[in-house]
Amino acid sequence: MVSIHADNLGLTYRVRQKITLASRTQRMPAGGRIEEVGRTRHVTALEGVSFSLQAGDRLGLVGANGAGKTTLLKVLYGIYEPTNGTVTIDGRVDALFNISLGFRAEATGRRNIELRGLINGWSRDEIRTRIDDIIEFSELGDFIDLPFKSYSQGMAARLAFSIATSFEPEILLMDEWIGAGDPSFQDKARRRMGEMAEKAGIIVLASHNHALLQRTCNKILELEEARLKTFCRAAEWFEK
Amino acid sequence: MKVLQSAFADISRGLRMRSVWMALAREDIGDQHRRTTLGPVWLLINYLAFAGTFVVIFGDNHSMPHFTAYVATGLFVWLYLTEVITLSITLFTREESFIRGTTLPLTVYVMRLTMQSVIRAGYALAGCLAVLLFAHTSLTIEWLWSGLALAMIVVATPAAILVFAIAGAFFPDLSFIVQNLMRIGTFLTPVFWIGPGQGIRGAFYRWNPFTYFLEIVRQPVINAEFPTRPFGICAIIVLFLWILAALLLGLYRKKIVFVL
Repeated sequence: MVSIHADNLGLTYRVRQKITLASRTQRMPAGGRIEEVGRTRHVTALEGVSFSLQAGDRLGLVGANGAGKTTLLKVLYGIYEPTNGTVTIDGRVDALFNISLGFRAEATGRRNIELRGLINGWSRDEIRTRIDDIIEFSELGDFIDLPFKSYSQGMAARLAFSIATSFEPEILLMDEWIGAGDPSFQDKARRRMGEMAEKAGIIVLASHNHALLQRTCNKILELEEARLKTFCRAAEWFEK
Repeated sequence: MKVLQSAFADISRGLRMRSVWMALAREDIGDQHRRTTLGPVWLLINYLAFAGTFVVIFGDNHSMPHFTAYVATGLFVWLYLTEVITLSITLFTREESFIRGTTLPLTVYVMRLTMQSVIRAGYALAGCLAVLLFAHTSLTIEWLWSGLALAMIVVATPAAILVFAIAGAFFPDLSFIVQNLMRIGTFLTPVFWIGPGQGIRGAFYRWNPFTYFLEIVRQPVINAEFPTRPFGICAIIVLFLWILAALLLGLYRKKIVFVL
């Protein structure tokens, strides 16, 4: 049975002054609050976040930009390691963050499917099983054997979407709902996302689109300045 | 102990994902030469042009009978080491989008660069063997020691990449410092001059760790002997590199994402 249990989750990291002669323009890899103690600056990207999700739950993450939504998704995915608290996840976690990541301009669409599959952790057999469906869904036809750089933006987006949504996730993390291509493909993509969401055990979706969250989610977790503000049933949150 | 466990977890997961880094490394090499007529053969030509220039300009086969073989083997190892070290410094910066967007272990990026460098070195090795053949260097059973030396250098490569990549992530200026040092190192390392000699040249020969990596490959080919002392020194350096790499990986593997 898939589940996520986060207990007093926190992420604080030190902003390291890089030893460099270049001008110091510092980017924060995650949002949150900056606190200065002497000459040391710390960013609290998450603090005291606790929640539990069971199979069938669809959690909407809401909050202003920099509130910690993406950070929480990346902690759940394992990119960031929490510095406080624990997160216990039962089930395979898949994420749709940057679906175009790692595409190679010189390689064909077919080769890009293979490479992207390997990066996703698919075995050669899994790639072989899925490749025909991916090609068919992407509607690329004979273009699949041409270099990726020859694709239009819409074609590239269709291929990226088809690969990214070709698995059956147990736990699916999404930073905004994804879509791709021209209007007819967008309908198809919307249906695919719906099916995927239905099959997934748990979905965690960060979005500013309240209509989408109301339609998709049964629970809402609201973050404010890296802290948990509300964790409640979606109906309750939207009534406020 | 926890630090080392964390490092070994990353390394073992990275090694299990060899299909990823092998495929990416092959694509990298292919991409670099895709539009050229000769493809990766340019790597062989580059080596031959470089080695040929050194032999013709500095060539002195009368006072040093094996000068051509000396330069060919020394240059082959030196070019490999230079490439690995200079590319390592910026490795995690180049892989930033992957590190921020996937959960691939850092070892995957390290092995991708190792694989790329070994493939490129394979073409240069073909050039090196051609030069040795051209210079009528006698093929002896001791060449097997050179093979062992190359294997030792390949084993050291991921450790060196990890150390320089982590240092480069925290200290971006290191990229330019190392580039300049390696350029100067071509003259301070016995690539085309013969050591140990006296005075400052002798000191550079003895105290430069690169010297010993060149000698373990070169001496079995030129002198048909097993270079005991250089092998011992290299084994200690490789061990030290791996211990340092494991400690740095264990300490910083989850912090790298915050400094890129």
